[in-house]
Amino acid sequence: MPSEKQSKIRNFSIIAHIDHGKSTLADRILEYTRTVATRDMEEQLLDNMDLERERGITIKARAVKLDYHAPDGEVYTLNLIDTPGHVDFNYEVSRSLNACEGALLIVDATQGVEAQTLANAYLAIDNNLEIVPVINKIDLPSADVEKVRGEIEDIIGIPAEGCPAVSAKVGLNIDQVLDKIVSDIPCPEGDENAPLRALIFDSYYDSYLGVVVNIRVMEGSLRAGDRIRLMSTGAEFDVVDVGYMEPFGLKSGEVLSAGDVGYITASIKSVGDTRVGDTVTLAENPAAEPLPGFQEVHPMVYAGIYPADGARYGDLKDALEKLQLNDAALTFEAETSAALGFGFRCGFLGLLHMEIIEERLEREFNLDLITTAPSVIYKIEKKSGETVFIDNPSNYPNPDEISVAYEPMVKASIITPPDYVGGLMELCQDRRGEFINMTYIDTDRAELHYNLPLNEIIYDFFDALKSRSKGYASLDYELKGYEPSKLVKLDILLNGDIVDALSFIVHEEKAYGRARKICEKLKDNIPRQLFEVPVQAAIGGKVIARETVRAMRKDVLAKCYGGDITRKKKLLEKQKEGKKKMRQLGSVEVSPEAFMAVLKLDDES
Amino acid sequence: MNKKSLGLYIHIPFCQAKCAYCDFYSMSGSGDEDMARYVDALLLQMEDYAGAVKPYTVDSVFIGGGTPTVLPVKCMTTLIDGIYRCFDVSKRAEFTLEANPATVSLHSLQKYRRAGVNRLSMGLQSANEDELRALSRIHTKANFEASYMAARKAGFENINVDIMYGIPLQTAESFNRTLDYLTALEPEHISMYGLRIEEGTPFALSRDTLILPDEDTEADMYFDAIRYLNAKGFRHYEISNFARPGCECRHNLKYWNCDEYLGLGCAAHSYFGGMRFSFKRNMGMYIDAMEADITGGGMLTDDGTSIDYEQFRAAALVDELYEVAPSERVGEYIMLRLRLTDGISSEQFRQRFGLNFDALYGRKLKLYIDNGFMTFDGDSYAFTPKGMYVSNYILSNILDFDENSHIIGTIADGSEQ
Repeated sequence: MPSEKQSKIRNFSIIAHIDHGKSTLADRILEYTRTVATRDMEEQLLDNMDLERERGITIKARAVKLDYHAPDGEVYTLNLIDTPGHVDFNYEVSRSLNACEGALLIVDATQGVEAQTLANAYLAIDNNLEIVPVINKIDLPSADVEKVRGEIEDIIGIPAEGCPAVSAKVGLNIDQVLDKIVSDIPCPEGDENAPLRALIFDSYYDSYLGVVVNIRVMEGSLRAGDRIRLMSTGAEFDVVDVGYMEPFGLKSGEVLSAGDVGYITASIKSVGDTRVGDTVTLAENPAAEPLPGFQEVHPMVYAGIYPADGARYGDLKDALEKLQLNDAALTFEAETSAALGFGFRCGFLGLLHMEIIEERLEREFNLDLITTAPSVIYKIEKKSGETVFIDNPSNYPNPDEISVAYEPMVKASIITPPDYVGGLMELCQDRRGEFINMTYIDTDRAELHYNLPLNEIIYDFFDALKSRSKGYASLDYELKGYEPSKLVKLDILLNGDIVDALSFIVHEEKAYGRARKICEKLKDNIPRQLFEVPVQAAIGGKVIARETVRAMRKDVLAKCYGGDITRKKKLLEKQKEGKKKMRQLGSVEVSPEAFMAVLKLDDES
Repeated sequence: MNKKSLGLYIHIPFCQAKCAYCDFYSMSGSGDEDMARYVDALLLQMEDYAGAVKPYTVDSVFIGGGTPTVLPVKCMTTLIDGIYRCFDVSKRAEFTLEANPATVSLHSLQKYRRAGVNRLSMGLQSANEDELRALSRIHTKANFEASYMAARKAGFENINVDIMYGIPLQTAESFNRTLDYLTALEPEHISMYGLRIEEGTPFALSRDTLILPDEDTEADMYFDAIRYLNAKGFRHYEISNFARPGCECRHNLKYWNCDEYLGLGCAAHSYFGGMRFSFKRNMGMYIDAMEADITGGGMLTDDGTSIDYEQFRAAALVDELYEVAPSERVGEYIMLRLRLTDGISSEQFRQRFGLNFDALYGRKLKLYIDNGFMTFDGDSYAFTPKGMYVSNYILSNILDFDENSHIIGTIADGSEQ
């Protein structure tokens, strides 16, 4: 039986397809509950990274506590937990959802149910959440509330009778949403007197407080002065403060007990100690079992990140250290490249995670970066009997030292409307996928199962999937382990010199196509030099593709009379400025743009 | 007294019609009255500068544009008379007038010759009618030929003809026709410019639809033309210029030698008294500023402060003005002198700047000498034609206008001299 206090708590998250109005609705709910006065509202309060606002996605989980004065005269505590929305962060999403009893499922009244809506809805259903559908954007002329209501019932299979139809943008019917949260979402349960079990769903580093851990207390209670233990590592800390996340900051409280969502600080130095999904218990009276579902998160994708201006290596290091304070999934260690100088080999959860880190480095720390092609970790058994793991193509052993090469595989599941099955199977085949089976969830949705090499899906697979299914297909995958594979390391040579930053590991069957494509791309992107530059791709010294960048013939200001010397000087100075950014690869000058164009080579070959 | 020499440039911003590739400051559609007003303004400016030019002998005059020959003949002779009146123009001065085909007649040419012009620069551009139309030139090959013959008849013994390569519709073969045609006329001087698409011109807007020779064809045209013209007795003396020995353009050489020149009129550039400056590309403002009565000595601005009329006039006229620092002069000299096939003589460089060119640049240039982009004969460094054609690239590798001050500072401190 829930306690009196628990009966007044509702823990929920909001899930939606991108652009369906998740953040705007969150804003309105905050505003409606008077937690944030309208005048203090900044659009999309929860997404407080610039990047999130621009991309319209949530990158980190975030929570906020609201007091809702309901029409029945009661005051309810609503804990809104915002979740990220990308396959890279699926684990984080599932943990966030685990901290809730219910979820608002937002559907755009003009767009209807879309792939992400489905994927997110299922994730919520899997976590036993009560789903409250909300139809948004009814202010738009093309809104069709009844049709969307029907889709929610037919496609997702949850009742949508009487679900709120709102306009978050103009603030229409927000009260109905709040009523539904109170009436439909169950209150939390859990014994306040049992040994403490609290789920970590997020943590971040604050330079004054140390790590601030966001938790949902499932059982037991916790207060300042308690000694806590993190069950995955056994690490113990003394709690300095507990309290709640209010819209404009933390507010200390006396105790967090079963059902509460709040924070703890305990002079923790690194977010690496407070892993998402871990269970917090008390050292004195520990719980017997941790909460289920904890996984240690490992980087799946590695890439070299270099400052475009070598002098900023130190700045890049500082920036990575700062980002890591808040991002336990980010790893990095120093590496050097003959072509790119000093940089770092960084590990990421996936491509989006990598892009986000890159963008944050560039924006928040004002760095220009060159990033090498992402790579997965390969396992190599050498003839010597030694086994090595390779996350950087530069370290790939010579072919004659290799006994067996392994690459990581994933079990992928793709949910798609049946119309796109053909195109998606083709895509998976093309990416060396091994078909397992296909099942129909209902007449409108098929589920494809494939084993796929991870290196085939890290790059642009998600985009290709979306484009081949008009955005409807969704992807989920889990690591399956290593399998033997015929891998080769492809080297790229400019003017006869290997450019280490351009080397990559690829399946034998694809080597030739990729080699040709990279050579062509380099030929098109390397500015003509004074000398002819041969561009070659080679496997272990054997050239398999070749192009030539022809020598520049014309770079002259033919007319320099009328006495305008200043203009000519400016032209040369500008040209000189441009050259300063060039990377000298042996005797060849390559602009960072050309480098990026080649490194961003898509996989469609 | 041995006076310094000076080049004088006068800009005439009028054309009968504007060519689609041209970004010089000029306008079409002006009436005789506007033109007369502009020439009057020019005369005022010449009078303004007469004092400053006193210590100089003007040994080259260049009236350019635009198309100066669209001025009514009377206007032009008034201008020329004004030049002789205001400045000390040497008897042997080179006096060039840009004279475009279809804007001159035997009569007008005789008047110019009599007024003191002794060199003409005529724009043929191409001897192929379709190419002339593509360039939106107003003349035909026949117009050009008639004007050229009339010029000879009027007594002009020093004529430059401009041609272009890399233009729409042009092929190696059609370019050869232009060269054949032109050399048969035996001009004293040929300027051969590669088309450059300048931002803001009609060509820039229609860039994608222009049928242009590709980079390689264009380069071949350039190199083939150099060989051809050399064989015909024209010396290749600057990136784009060829002349019978002794007929090199004295005025343009001043630009490439970093010698002094004064440019008057709107949009004109000067290197005068250690300063580089230019006047605004705005004829209306130019005329207003020149016409303003400055005899009162001063005027009140809106906020009540008094400013000098000279200052007021300068502010209204001047577009850009800066003093060329000694270190920058070195960079300019290298940039400009290397346009000449004679290149840079270490000895002359030492005399001019007191610096050792070999020590400063020899090492940087070795790569280019070894690979056929430059030559070195023990004293002079010069581009080969192949080097000239990529000279921007090479210059941007070797020149650093900022760093020079540092280098020169070091050398001036002792070790080298």
